[in-house]
Amino acid sequence: MKFKFNVTGIDCPNCAGKLARQIEGKEGIDSCQINFISERLTVESGLAAEEVAAIVEKECRAFSKDIEVTKR
Amino acid sequence: MKKLLLGEPFRIAAGLVLFIPGAVLHFLNIDIPALILLSLALLISGSGVFLDALRGIRRLDFLDEKFLMCIASIGAFVIGEYVEGVAVMLFFLVGEYFEHRAVGRSRNAIKTLLDICPDTATVLSDGEECVIDAEDVEVGTVILVRAGERVPLDSVVESGTAELDTSALTGEHLPRRIEPGSLIESGCVVIGGAVVCRTVHTLEQSSATRILELVESAEERKSREESFITKFSRYYTPAVIVLAILMAAVPPIFNLLPLRDSVYRALSFLVVSCPCALVISVPMAFFGGIGGAASRGILYKGGNTFSAISRIENAVFDKTGTLTRGELSVSALHPCGVDEEELLYLAASAEFGSTHPIAEAIKRAARSRSRSQDIEEIGGAGVVATVGDARVAVGTEKLLLSLDVALPDDVPAGAVYVARDGVYIGAITLFDTVKDEAREALQELRALGVKRTYILSGDNEAAVRSVSEELGIDEYRAELTPEGKFELLEHIIDSSSGATLFVGDGINDAPSLARADVGIAMGGVGSDSAIEAADAVIVSDNLSRLPDTVRGARRTLTIAKENIVFAISVKLLVLLLVSFDIGGMWLAVFADVGVAVIAILNAMRAMKLPSRKNK
Repeated sequence: MKFKFNVTGIDCPNCAGKLARQIEGKEGIDSCQINFISERLTVESGLAAEEVAAIVEKECRAFSKDIEVTKR
Repeated sequence: MKKLLLGEPFRIAAGLVLFIPGAVLHFLNIDIPALILLSLALLISGSGVFLDALRGIRRLDFLDEKFLMCIASIGAFVIGEYVEGVAVMLFFLVGEYFEHRAVGRSRNAIKTLLDICPDTATVLSDGEECVIDAEDVEVGTVILVRAGERVPLDSVVESGTAELDTSALTGEHLPRRIEPGSLIESGCVVIGGAVVCRTVHTLEQSSATRILELVESAEERKSREESFITKFSRYYTPAVIVLAILMAAVPPIFNLLPLRDSVYRALSFLVVSCPCALVISVPMAFFGGIGGAASRGILYKGGNTFSAISRIENAVFDKTGTLTRGELSVSALHPCGVDEEELLYLAASAEFGSTHPIAEAIKRAARSRSRSQDIEEIGGAGVVATVGDARVAVGTEKLLLSLDVALPDDVPAGAVYVARDGVYIGAITLFDTVKDEAREALQELRALGVKRTYILSGDNEAAVRSVSEELGIDEYRAELTPEGKFELLEHIIDSSSGATLFVGDGINDAPSLARADVGIAMGGVGSDSAIEAADAVIVSDNLSRLPDTVRGARRTLTIAKENIVFAISVKLLVLLLVSFDIGGMWLAVFADVGVAVIAILNAMRAMKLPSRKNK
C-alpha cells in the first residue's frame, strides 16, 4: 500500500533525502520518497495506516522540530 | 509554517538584541559582560540549529549544514572570536530565513499556477442545490456549473449551452462551445451561461487532478543535471571537511600560521562545505520549468526529458489528428461526363441521411442537395439512394464493381466513386485538412535546430504525400501498421546522432511514443496508454506548442546549468579566498545561504516561457 503525507519544514533536498532514508530504514517500511519541492512524502508499506503514520511522525520529529507531517 | 514565522524571526531578533550591546562591550574591552551577552545571543539564536545538530548526532548521520554551523560558531568562541561566532550564526539564520521565503514563494507561485481544481461541487437533487466536497461526488451525479465557475469534475453536459474556457488545462485562450452531450473537463471555466451536467469521473480520475498528479510527480524523475549535482555534493562535502582538518592542523605544524588563525580558516571551510546551496539550485530550476510549461498545457512526466528535447534533430510525426485536424474535406473532383457541380449535387444528395465523415465532407462541399429516397447504407463501402428519378451509388471501388458499374482505367486512387443508373460519372478525392498552425510550427522547429522531418502514417499514399508536400516534410511513409511505424522510427533513431522526437495523438502510437528519445502525445490527458508511454503530453492539439516546448526546455536547462556553475564556482572561489585569509566566515556564510537564495531566484525565471520571435 502507498501512503501519502504532506510534509513541511524541511530545509533542503539534501535533508529530504536523509529523512527519507531514515524512514526507509524502519522495519515494515518498503520505501519512502520525499519530494522537497512539492512537499510530499510517499511511503510504501504493508503495515496498517496508523502504524505507518506513527513511524513517519516519530522519524520526522526526531529529525527536526520544524518538520510537520499531515496525512493527505 | 506558523512555528517558523513565530520561532525563527523571534530567535533572530532576540539574538540581535543581545548581540549588539555584547559586540559594543567587547570592542570596549569590557570582557566579562560582553562574553555573557554574546554567549546568550548564540545560545538563543542558535538553539534550533544546536538541537537539530544533536538530533543528527543521535542518528549518527550528522554531516549536515546545521552540524557544520555549530562546529563553526562554537569553534569561533573557543578560539576567542566571540563576536564572529555569534555574527556568523545570525547571518546564517537570516540567510536561511530568506532561503525559506524564496522557496516558499516559488512553491506558491507554482501552486497558484496549478490551482485549477475547485474543492466543491453544486449537486442538484430533487430540484435542490447543495454544495458538497468534490471528493465525495459519485460518478453519475447531476451537478450545476454556473457562468464563471470552474468545472469540479469531468462531466457531460445535459442541458444548457455555454462556452468553455479550457486555458487552465490547455493554455489555449480560444473558448470552446459546449452544448448537451459535450464532455467538459474539470479545471475548465464555464463562461456565458450555466450548464447542468452529469459527472463521468470521480475527483481522483478527473482531468485537473490527473494533470496535477503528473506535474507533482514529475520532479521525482531526476534529470541528469540533478543526479550530477547530488553526486557532486556527496564528494564535495567530505572533501572540504578533510581540507578543513588539514587547514587547521598542517600550517601550525610547520610554523606557517599560529594555531588560532589556521583554526579560524578551517572553520570558514566548514561553513562553505554545506551542500545545501548546491542541491537546491538544480531541482528548483526544473520545477520552475515543469510548472511554467504546465500552465501552457505542456505536461512533463519528468525532469529527465528536458535535455533530450533541447537537442532534437529529427522530428517524426503521425499524420491524422497530429498534423491534420482529423476532419475530412473534399480536395478535388474528377467528373466524367457530367459537370463538377452536378457530381457534387448527386453525391451529396445520396449521402443525405449519412453521418459518416466522408458524407459530412461531401455535404459541406456541395452547394445544393436534395432529399434522397430508398437509402441503402452499405457498411464500410458506401451508399446507394434514389435522387430525383435516378439511382445513385457513392462509395468505394468495390461497391461500384459489385453493382456492375464499369470503371475507366484512369480513375484516381483512394477516392470516393460515384455512379448514376449504373454508369460511372466521376470520383471525389478527399483529404484531411492540415492544421492552420502546422506550417509555422514546423518552420519554427527547423529554426530551432530540427534537421529532418518525417511523417509516418497509416493513411493512403496520396493523402500522406499531399500533406507532406504542403508542409515541406523531408520524408514520408504511408500505409504503415503501428508495428511498421515502430520499425521505421527505430531505423531513424539508429541512423542519427541527434535526438529523435516522435509526436503522435497517442491512440495507437504508444510503442513509438515510448521508443523515441522524446515522445510527445498531443491532445489531452484522456488516453492512459499515451500518458504512460509519452515523455510529455501537450493537452491541446495546437502544434505551436511544440516549438514552445523546445524553447522552454532549452531555457530551463540553461538556467539549471547557470545555477550549477554559479554555485560551484562561488564555493570554490570562496574556499580559495578564505584559505588566504580574505573575507573570512562572513563570506563563507554568503557562499552557503546567499548562493542558495540567488540560485532559487534565478530558478524562478524558468517559469516564464521565452517569447516567440516576431510575434
